[in-house]
Amino acid sequence: MLFLYTLIAILPVGFALWASLHRIPLTQPQWTFVGLENYAQVFELDRFWGSMWRGTLFMVGSTLVQLAVGLWMALVINRMERGQRLLSTLVFTSYLIPTIIVTLIALFMLDPFVGVLHQFGASLGLWEGYVLGAATWNLPGIGEVSLALPAVVLIGSWKFSVFITIFALAQLRSIPNRFYEAAKICGATSWEMFRDITLPRLKGAILVAVLLRSVFMFNKYDIIWQLTQGGPGYETTTMPILAYRETFEGSAYGLGNAIAVVMFCFLAVGAVAYFVAFNPSQEVDT
Amino acid sequence: MSTLDDDESGTGTATERRRGPGLTRRLSYPVRRSVLRLGTVGSALLLGFLMAFPLYWMAQNAFKTRLAINAGVSWLPTGDAFTLERFGIVNNGAVLTYITNSIIVTIGTVLLVVAVSLVAGYGLARYDFRGKVAFARFLLLGYLFSPIVLALPLYLIWDWTGLLNTHIGLILALSAVSMPFAVWLMWKYIQTIPQAMEESAWIAGAPRWRGFVDVVLPQTTPAIIANALFAFGLAWNDFTFAQILLPSNDATTFPPGILRLVNASFETGYGDFMAVGLLMTIPPLLFAFFLQSYLLKGFEIRAL
Repeated sequence: MLFLYTLIAILPVGFALWASLHRIPLTQPQWTFVGLENYAQVFELDRFWGSMWRGTLFMVGSTLVQLAVGLWMALVINRMERGQRLLSTLVFTSYLIPTIIVTLIALFMLDPFVGVLHQFGASLGLWEGYVLGAATWNLPGIGEVSLALPAVVLIGSWKFSVFITIFALAQLRSIPNRFYEAAKICGATSWEMFRDITLPRLKGAILVAVLLRSVFMFNKYDIIWQLTQGGPGYETTTMPILAYRETFEGSAYGLGNAIAVVMFCFLAVGAVAYFVAFNPSQEVDT
Repeated sequence: MSTLDDDESGTGTATERRRGPGLTRRLSYPVRRSVLRLGTVGSALLLGFLMAFPLYWMAQNAFKTRLAINAGVSWLPTGDAFTLERFGIVNNGAVLTYITNSIIVTIGTVLLVVAVSLVAGYGLARYDFRGKVAFARFLLLGYLFSPIVLALPLYLIWDWTGLLNTHIGLILALSAVSMPFAVWLMWKYIQTIPQAMEESAWIAGAPRWRGFVDVVLPQTTPAIIANALFAFGLAWNDFTFAQILLPSNDATTFPPGILRLVNASFETGYGDFMAVGLLMTIPPLLFAFFLQSYLLKGFEIRAL
């Protein structure tokens, strides 16, 4: 059993490490050992640093939006007296619905000719061009900003916020009611109850969820690729997209693997730092 | 119990705030209550609208003629605009292949994940071996593997072993990804089943596997359902692995296949995509409605 897992999870990583030391043109796999040259090349690529920056932006932006919306939704669902099942069904649906369908709906709703969301935004003067393409905002001080990345963040958050909702909801359900009753007798306001009972209990789950969400969003490949294929230009190319593009469009298999390895190391360092700083697993053991 | 301690240590500041001009203290209880109620109901309506609107938009446009969609935004398919033709896209050979492939891969993944997680979870919970805890920690490291980090090496490995473009190849990869959490959940769950129950079966002369099948297995149903649901969500949803490991058009599953259609074809319009999307949404919708408590349970254990 341990074998199987090791085989499928570790082997590829080792293989990636090994491959990243070679130059391998994808069409005629002929391995040439080049040592660390691929890594040197990775760090010299302009695209790499740009993708790293965009990937981090995407990760932080998505995690923040998802945390805010997800927690809000969990608290609301937990408080609702009627219609709870309806809303939570919607939440679980968007957890289980395939990403590609979210993409299809988003592409349709943002279509410059027949899209309802596009027309709504255009009538408010928010954008003129295709939101996932040419549309830009002229921000004072920063200049022209493409709307593609924020749009992808928001569309992704529609699907992935519910992860935090479910996570927090599971935790909220486990808080015994007697805590709130005791607080009420002592004359606590709802805000005080939230601050002193709910929040400390949720803290552990939130820390874990934030870690998981950041990791997942940093690794997120599917929704970005489906929506924009990393375009327009390199506007929405994050690290995983770059690895894919270098491998299959640039036909540089070794280089793609080098990027994958760098990504993995970056995440591992980040995760360890997060554990040292917050120790989320300890928090949950209340 | 840490909350109570927190409360105690926080009393100093809390009383100070109470003496000061705190906003909440000035409002009477009924006012506060109705404000909170209004906030809850308002938020629920807003969030419900945000969650439901895209689904509604997909559903209503699945029943519209192409002409009606091209005519611009409208709220319901009425009169001439209504049609069931859009669902004919399923008869389009390619789409049917994609959906069949998706179903095969999903069923395979669910079965494999459930079987392996049962055996591995049981082993972890009942047998002592060296490095058990280290192994469990190591399982969680699996979260760090991005699909793309795994899929790129697998592409060449599968190419050499002939698993590229086969269902088995994708099933193996997807199972590997859902395995860490599935094993973890099953392990935690089996720990809650008292071993004494099994022991009484052994005393009655049952061999170990008999005890596992007859005593432990029936009690793990909730964990099995939760694992199956998570595996379903992963396999039904998967795009990255299928895109890389199933490059051939005949072998690929629904998500990458339909994306190719979107980017390549001018014959199929949004209406068709909405129709097939609606069909693919029905299974998750049903699962979400009837099995949500199991999902929630899975997340509860996940937070441990």
